[in-house]
Amino acid sequence: MKEFMLFIRTNGDHIAHMSPEEQQAHIQKVAKYIGSLTESGKLKGAQPIETGGAIIRGNGGAFKDGPFNESKEIITGYFHIQAESLVEAKEIAKANPIFEEKADIMIEIRPIKSVEGIN
Amino acid sequence: MPDKHSIASDNEVSTKVEHLFRHEYGKLVSALTNTFGTSNIQLAEDVVQESMMEALQQWTYSGEPENPVGWIYKVAKYKAINVINQDQLRKKHKLLISGELNSDETGSIELNFDNAAIVDDQLRMIFTCCHLCISSDSQVALTLKTLCGFSIPEIAKAFITNEENINKRLVRARKSIREANVHFEVPSGDELRSRLDSVLEVIYLMFNEGYQASTGMAPIRYELCHEAIRLGELMISDDRLNRVSQLPALLALMYFNASRFSARINDKGVFVELEQQDRNEWDESLISRGFHYLNLSTLHDELSEYHILATISGHYCTAKHNADIDWKSVLNLHDSLIAISDTPIKRLNRAVVLSKTADAATALREIKAMPDKSVLQTYIPYHSVKAELYKQTGDLAKAMESLEMALHLSPSEPIRLSLLAKLEDLIHY
Repeated sequence: MKEFMLFIRTNGDHIAHMSPEEQQAHIQKVAKYIGSLTESGKLKGAQPIETGGAIIRGNGGAFKDGPFNESKEIITGYFHIQAESLVEAKEIAKANPIFEEKADIMIEIRPIKSVEGIN
Repeated sequence: MPDKHSIASDNEVSTKVEHLFRHEYGKLVSALTNTFGTSNIQLAEDVVQESMMEALQQWTYSGEPENPVGWIYKVAKYKAINVINQDQLRKKHKLLISGELNSDETGSIELNFDNAAIVDDQLRMIFTCCHLCISSDSQVALTLKTLCGFSIPEIAKAFITNEENINKRLVRARKSIREANVHFEVPSGDELRSRLDSVLEVIYLMFNEGYQASTGMAPIRYELCHEAIRLGELMISDDRLNRVSQLPALLALMYFNASRFSARINDKGVFVELEQQDRNEWDESLISRGFHYLNLSTLHDELSEYHILATISGHYCTAKHNADIDWKSVLNLHDSLIAISDTPIKRLNRAVVLSKTADAATALREIKAMPDKSVLQTYIPYHSVKAELYKQTGDLAKAMESLEMALHLSPSEPIRLSLLAKLEDLIHY
């Protein structure tokens, strides 16, 4: 088993465009998605991330605030999962109901580094 | 493995959270309006909307909590208290922008979210949304928005209009409430009578808007019917309101009509008229619910239009075959309806019944004799009824002409298909 971080990147206000009908459907799908990940022991953690915050840059003890990345898609949440391979991690990411929202959603899949022979 | 993740294709609906976002929205907005006052309905809506957003964002990562309703209530309560505290800050700085908040100066506020209190708040909200100071189309829009949790795009879709139009109605309605300084209460005594009429009218309008197949068949429209029934049920559960016999009469009418939902459109998407419907498809449980309320409505010596309409609809429900329909009684009921108020649509409906008790020619003569029939020119059933009557008298040319007229009025797809089928029939007659 390998561990992966799935970073959800969106433009921030994607959920606001759903009708109550769609919200209802969305939550039901999400509940099943997370339920099945939890049941199979593949979900290690998941949290939404606020859009604000700060960026500090440092170089040899000199700090500087910001600037934030120019990118339109910012990280608005993460899933920390376990999967056999990158292929499976991609499958899990693709099944996320978040993709049904009418917005550009990006999931960045990054394996958590482990040193062979140690873990 | 792919099985586990093929969630997107699964349409299974969990009953536990059915319409949580819609109905809890209405309940919470009502409860918070009790706290914030009727001039701050918008504020109440904003707080609830934000709480729902929080839920969506959080649950996307954590899944639904054990008690989703409790979760949302907690968040809403917290946000409401924040708003009030901020407002008190504003007061201190003499920057008061919104008026009467129902909290005392000490800052202790009661937010009562228990079931009985929320039912009560919803009833107060119904009377607020249907207050006589608001125009009738705005009353319906506001009711759907604040009590039924419809979004503006959904209301626009249900009423086949644009979002801007609905938004204007809502803004106007809220303004009227503020200006009239409407109390958040269920009125009593004589005032209850007069204001109840407008509440019933709004519920009936909501139901009819959903029921009229002539203006579209999107599923959202049937939801209007369900919401109308839900509000009616909410009202009749209250001791102050269940003594008014129009309420059970209206509920009976809605249940009878709702029992025919699935029979009104066949599997090809064509609208089916009552007499051609498959009676096995009528929902027995809704019909018996209808009769339950019809009986309740006759306990008092009152006769409203709802009583008569429900009785007519009930006549159709009890007849096992078309031949069993007691047309004479139905005609008498239509006469009573016209006695209460005389409208061209009622006359047209009466003429249809007249074609059963007498004949098509008599019915056509009645329609021709109607003084103000010109207002029916844009009413699709006016032309389709005439087409049927002409066909029965053997005047096929006129029947075709009437069908063409109906088709020109851009009917909904199910109605259009049914009109085309009739036209086809005439060609091969």
